[in-house]
Amino acid sequence: MSTPSAGGFPKRETMFEREPAKRVFAGELREIREQFRDGTDEKSPSYVLLPTGERCNRVFLVGSMTEKKRQGEQNMFYRARIVDPTGTFFVVAGSYQPEAMQQMARIEPPAFVAVVGKPTIYETPDGTVLVSVRAESITIVDREIRDCWVLDTAKATLDRLDNPTPGPDSAHAIEKYHIDPVAYRKMVYHALSQLKF
Amino acid sequence: MDISQIVDRISQKIESKGHAADKSKIEQKLRRLIEEFGVQPADAERTVLYDIARDYGIPLGGGAGPVDKKQINSVSPEEWVTIEGKVVALGHSPSPSIAYSGIIADASGAIRFVIWSKASVPEIRKDSWYRFESAVVDEFKGALSLKVHSGTTVKELEDDGVLIPVMMPIAELTAGVASVRAKMIQEWDVTHDRMLQSGLLGDETGTVKFVTWKEEGKERLTPGSVYNIYYALVDEFNGRYSLNMNTANIVAEEGDIAVSSGTAAFQGSLVHIAPGSGLIKRCTVEGCNRVLSRQNYCPVHEMQPKFNYDLRIKGWLDNGARTEEVLVQREVVESLTGMTLEESKELAENNPLGMDEVFLRMREKILGRYLKCEGREIDRRMIVNSCERIHFDPMLLAELLNRTGGEVS
Repeated sequence: MSTPSAGGFPKRETMFEREPAKRVFAGELREIREQFRDGTDEKSPSYVLLPTGERCNRVFLVGSMTEKKRQGEQNMFYRARIVDPTGTFFVVAGSYQPEAMQQMARIEPPAFVAVVGKPTIYETPDGTVLVSVRAESITIVDREIRDCWVLDTAKATLDRLDNPTPGPDSAHAIEKYHIDPVAYRKMVYHALSQLKF
Repeated sequence: MDISQIVDRISQKIESKGHAADKSKIEQKLRRLIEEFGVQPADAERTVLYDIARDYGIPLGGGAGPVDKKQINSVSPEEWVTIEGKVVALGHSPSPSIAYSGIIADASGAIRFVIWSKASVPEIRKDSWYRFESAVVDEFKGALSLKVHSGTTVKELEDDGVLIPVMMPIAELTAGVASVRAKMIQEWDVTHDRMLQSGLLGDETGTVKFVTWKEEGKERLTPGSVYNIYYALVDEFNGRYSLNMNTANIVAEEGDIAVSSGTAAFQGSLVHIAPGSGLIKRCTVEGCNRVLSRQNYCPVHEMQPKFNYDLRIKGWLDNGARTEEVLVQREVVESLTGMTLEESKELAENNPLGMDEVFLRMREKILGRYLKCEGREIDRRMIVNSCERIHFDPMLLAELLNRTGGEVS
């Protein structure tokens, strides 16, 4: 249903829209460097800019948890390495994500896990950039879900490469990242070629 | 355009009404608008003419120029129009500055109108025909309305005979006024003292919420019956439409409508399961069925020591581009999680975590899984009546491998 635009006034978006969870391979996520807020409000959503040209507030990823560490005393949190065919995701769950923290506590690596979370960029004082995912939830899944995710993410990545959504994000990404689309296609091919028919 | 020509035109109009026109003042006003403020000459002419007319209290009728007679469905916002139609609804005037408000219809459609008290109009009666000359089209929240002001001439017309309302499929409703043929498919609880009834209407194309406010002569609709609803107000709120039935003329009809199930399908990964999922307790008061809080408190019927157990899942399905809120009913929850209502009850009763244990186990079984859900879309939420897991598809793998262009693209 479409509403006729109100005499040039933008329609007020009062309805809550949940941010979709983008499908991104570890090989792409580790390249992110741009982080921005949409609006000036304290509660405005924060995004990272994907090298393939889309904003991203949340990701959905499935991979093998290879390592889990408990860190901190007072502010205890978990840090986990989750591997996909293209690289490693660093996933954290702290006391601000109690649901994810409790779930993480019960998972013993190695295990296939599905994670929903928010990507963040952290720069250390010496200039090293760390990209991690703050988990909102993490569950144990099986290999088939992992394989489905690789297909899903391959498709999403190819879609972003082949049909970029026109707009400021895409232009911004071209300016910031200078990606080599061929290298990204190879990454996708490599991920897919690890699956069995 | 030569300003002096406009000055002449304006002064002639003023003089023709028997008033003296001060040409230099008119010219000064025009120059100010056109030269200083960059107003288009035609707009400046209208503005100045209206300024002067208002000062003298002259009803201007045709405005600055003849205003075209239009079909109601072809008017656009901020336009000056003349329309002829039948007043199909008259409401109570909400304020002393408004003499009448209602709906006027012609063969092309219908539109809301407001007649200001300052306008000099004949008595407006429902079901009579009128010509509104030089009314202004206004827009509020996407709905158009006609403003009849002091410059509008309203004339009663001879009865123009039969007017056949334009019926609108529910899926094509937009804010304004519409007539629909629909079946009442659900009755909802009234949420306000002044509300007589609310619920859901459906036709072959979709469903829409309706509200009838308490007013003399208003009757409730019967669930399952089909009605012709002429000239209801269509309001928009948060991108959803609803029909306000108070202006409508409602005629019950024999027959039935195969209401579109509004079936929608969505697939994606289940990225979140909301609290209130799993095993829940429902109020047993007849017709209530609301979910009770942990302390067995019903929002309407207060403490309810007796309750019925039920299963449901409230969650978000996400395809990477969009998320869809899903509400999964008991049967589907059972087949999806492999946990029946009976087993869940037993689990809750014999476990220190109680109902939470059911929530946690269900979450482990379905969170992060790829699902395909089908159901009805109501208020931007899908009421799921079938749901299955998505399996690995080798065809898709082959297709995607081809798309990458191979190893050396």
